[in-house]
Amino acid sequence: MTRRLPRLALGLPAVLLLLVFLILPYAEMITMSFRTSQPGTMHGAGFTADHYRNVMSGGLYLGALARSLLLALFITLACLVVSYPIAWHLSRASGRKALLLYACVASPLMIGVLIRNFGWMIIVNVDGPLNRVLLSLGLIDRPLRLLFTQGLVALALVHVFTPFMVLPINNALRNINPAVIEASRSLGASRFATFWKVILPLSFPGIQPGLILVFVLATAAYVTPALLGGQMVTMMPTLVVQTLVGTFDWPLGATLAVVMATAALIAVVVFSLATQRLMERVRA
Amino acid sequence: MSSLEISALCKRYGPAVALDGVSLTAGQGELVSLLGPSGCGKTTALRCIAGFIDPDDGDIRANGVSILATPSSKRDFGVVFQNYALFPHLNVAENVGYGLLFRKGSKAERERRVREVLEQVQLVGLEHRLPRELSGGQQQRVALARALVIQPRLLLLDEPLANLDARLRDDVRWLIRDVQQASRTTAFYVTHDQAEAMAISDKIAVMKNGKVAQFASPREIYQRPAERYVASFTGEANFLAAEVERALGGGLFRVRAGGATLDVRGAGPFAGSAVLLARPESLAIVTDGTGQLEGRVVKSVFLGAVQHCEVVLRDGASVRLGTPPDRPLPADGTVSVRLDVDRTWLMPDAVP
Amino acid sequence: MTVASLGSRASRLAGSSLIVLLYAFLLIPLVAVVAASLTAGEFMRLPPEGLSLRWFARFFQRGDLVEALLMSLRIALVSTLVTGIVALMAALASQSLSRRMAVWFQIGMTLPLLIPELLTAIGLLFFLYRIGLGKTVLGLQIGHIVLAFPYCYVSIAAALRQIDPALDDASGSLGASGWQTFRHVTLPLAMPGLVMGAVFAFITSFDLYTVSLLLKPIGGNTLPLALFDFLTYEFSPTAAAAATMSVLLAFAGVAVIQKLVGLQRAF
Repeated sequence: MTRRLPRLALGLPAVLLLLVFLILPYAEMITMSFRTSQPGTMHGAGFTADHYRNVMSGGLYLGALARSLLLALFITLACLVVSYPIAWHLSRASGRKALLLYACVASPLMIGVLIRNFGWMIIVNVDGPLNRVLLSLGLIDRPLRLLFTQGLVALALVHVFTPFMVLPINNALRNINPAVIEASRSLGASRFATFWKVILPLSFPGIQPGLILVFVLATAAYVTPALLGGQMVTMMPTLVVQTLVGTFDWPLGATLAVVMATAALIAVVVFSLATQRLMERVRA
Repeated sequence: MSSLEISALCKRYGPAVALDGVSLTAGQGELVSLLGPSGCGKTTALRCIAGFIDPDDGDIRANGVSILATPSSKRDFGVVFQNYALFPHLNVAENVGYGLLFRKGSKAERERRVREVLEQVQLVGLEHRLPRELSGGQQQRVALARALVIQPRLLLLDEPLANLDARLRDDVRWLIRDVQQASRTTAFYVTHDQAEAMAISDKIAVMKNGKVAQFASPREIYQRPAERYVASFTGEANFLAAEVERALGGGLFRVRAGGATLDVRGAGPFAGSAVLLARPESLAIVTDGTGQLEGRVVKSVFLGAVQHCEVVLRDGASVRLGTPPDRPLPADGTVSVRLDVDRTWLMPDAVP
Repeated sequence: MTVASLGSRASRLAGSSLIVLLYAFLLIPLVAVVAASLTAGEFMRLPPEGLSLRWFARFFQRGDLVEALLMSLRIALVSTLVTGIVALMAALASQSLSRRMAVWFQIGMTLPLLIPELLTAIGLLFFLYRIGLGKTVLGLQIGHIVLAFPYCYVSIAAALRQIDPALDDASGSLGASGWQTFRHVTLPLAMPGLVMGAVFAFITSFDLYTVSLLLKPIGGNTLPLALFDFLTYEFSPTAAAAATMSVLLAFAGVAVIQKLVGLQRAF
């Protein structure tokens, strides 16, 4: 007892750091969303719920929100499709090979989003390698203009978030007792049936957090749409940043941010509740 | 080197009672075992002595002085942990010398002490190995050496043999007993293995649900257990329901048990019913008419050196006993069983 | 050869090509950046037209980019030091919590990682403005510390969890004080996790974009911000050279982590 108290006190700076510079800012954001707008300054003196009414009735905002959520959903599912084979392959590897593969999966995680997006810019550029390969193969007769399209944004986002999906699924797959898979095969299940009935459900403890994390991060991803999407498509995050640093309408920007966060949160809660029973069954 | 006295030690974790008034004493140089199944409170008691946890109530005195206010780092008690708890980043010599870093003495003196102790536990030559490069038995010796090097006033051992295979267990047990006796260090030894406790201890405290069921010498615990629980925890035991007729004086009682009237030993007073302990070795199948009990063999197992039999007595109670393996059992199974009255023990049938 | 085994060979081949493709997908953009930066030609072309380091030289001639690089390095260094110490203390504190409480504590400590950077950045934008730190280097630094903190905490807490709690008792019973136990046992054993946390914190801070965009001081720029602006008006190999430095930093980080803890345990 005597030794526990000073030890717990060591956590104080961290708690204070997050309380003051994470929790209070969120409170400030919510407060800001109820302030009045005033052109020429960040915000007015009074309080109002007009921004929420404005956002919820404006087709522009709701459209952007719907686009952002749909894009996030698409990216999340695409990430799952891309990640599962990688995670499976990674979970089967061992020794030096596993090391190399881990480095391949983890390295992108340690390189800024901006730089990874930039790589795609180089590749899909009008006189970039992709177009030249396609031209020389005769598949196209004019270079494709891929930059500043929604497709490229989606591709780059899948690339950005894939490691976030691979790592938890890989962990879950590694936690599956191999004897369970052998048991399934010995009982007459085909490879496919074993995957569908045993491996997939048992890897769900990795799939669920992966899906949630990628969905949330994708909903509010700013850099990629801003760099690769150009002015073509209005996404919620770009709209929020424009409102904040372009028109300096902080209350409206705050409202948009709160609405976006709430929408993503509702989606996550609904998904968690829907998959709760499965999680409880398969959790070790 | 000191004596230790524990009185009325209590420790609760929420509603769970880990220690419920434990009192024990260890004289100077004695080895006391705390014996019991998991969850009986033996490790909690040891951790209280070591100072890793504070008891809610009661006192612990070393040489008559309470040590409860002394932090574990000032108690000078050497602890040998169940999983050894060797420092994985330090080699053998550094592990053993660790405790000397916080005590007076030159570097040369420290090295001399480490060498001495390593010789004592037969680890010379392995000074520069890391713990993970050692076998289980070697790790155990390092743990022992590390605890001994500080010349502790008290040695505390928490299931020190639990992670060793059977063959090594005997070697290390002898080593522990030898160094403990050589250094005349008072020691507490936690184990769930009765044979281990019997072999190594001066005194055994058999624990049950946070209480000491009996605290006595190994011989006394085995031959004159205070209750059924102690008897069954310390070895094979047959229990016969006994009806006490009267005390005969001199520690003898006349009882009816197993369908016969017997004069048996016990520590009274008894009133009415009691339990008669008959270890398998106090029972024998006889044909010379000296058997006091009669029954029928219902099961027998050949084990090489001995044959185990289960015999149902006339009153329906069943007992297990051993017979020489070459002796044929009667075809109808009816046998006469002799009870060595001097090796029986009458106990109260319920403990308050 | 039976039809079935032919079929399984074909499916295995398809499987391994798929895997190769997926790994290529992960790595190609990184390779593209590095390759483009090494060109000897005038334009951003792949494959590079001859090899040279001239674009790196060009990068270091650009005062604005170098200044941004120095600012990024400075901020990342401070973030690493502050998060390292605060996270180590928090991780030590979490050890004396019950199992249940420790799980909640961990969730709390990793909140900045679990919620999108954009939202945290917006909240901080408002809050720092309210307390008078809007558009200051200190404000930007605080944002980086908050966002780099979870990476550091997770690494250190994981390292501490690996340490057998009995070692604490063992050290104490041998006469070591709390501080001595920390110095001789806990710290050396947690060191790999600490270094890993520091590497993560440094790299995270170095690469942050959104939070820097919203919190950057007037006239100050971090490298990612400068790179973004640069890219919007000049698509030259200088940008690739700037980006390559970030890639090299990441690979150095991965190598350090592999050397100290092993990648499998790190991720």
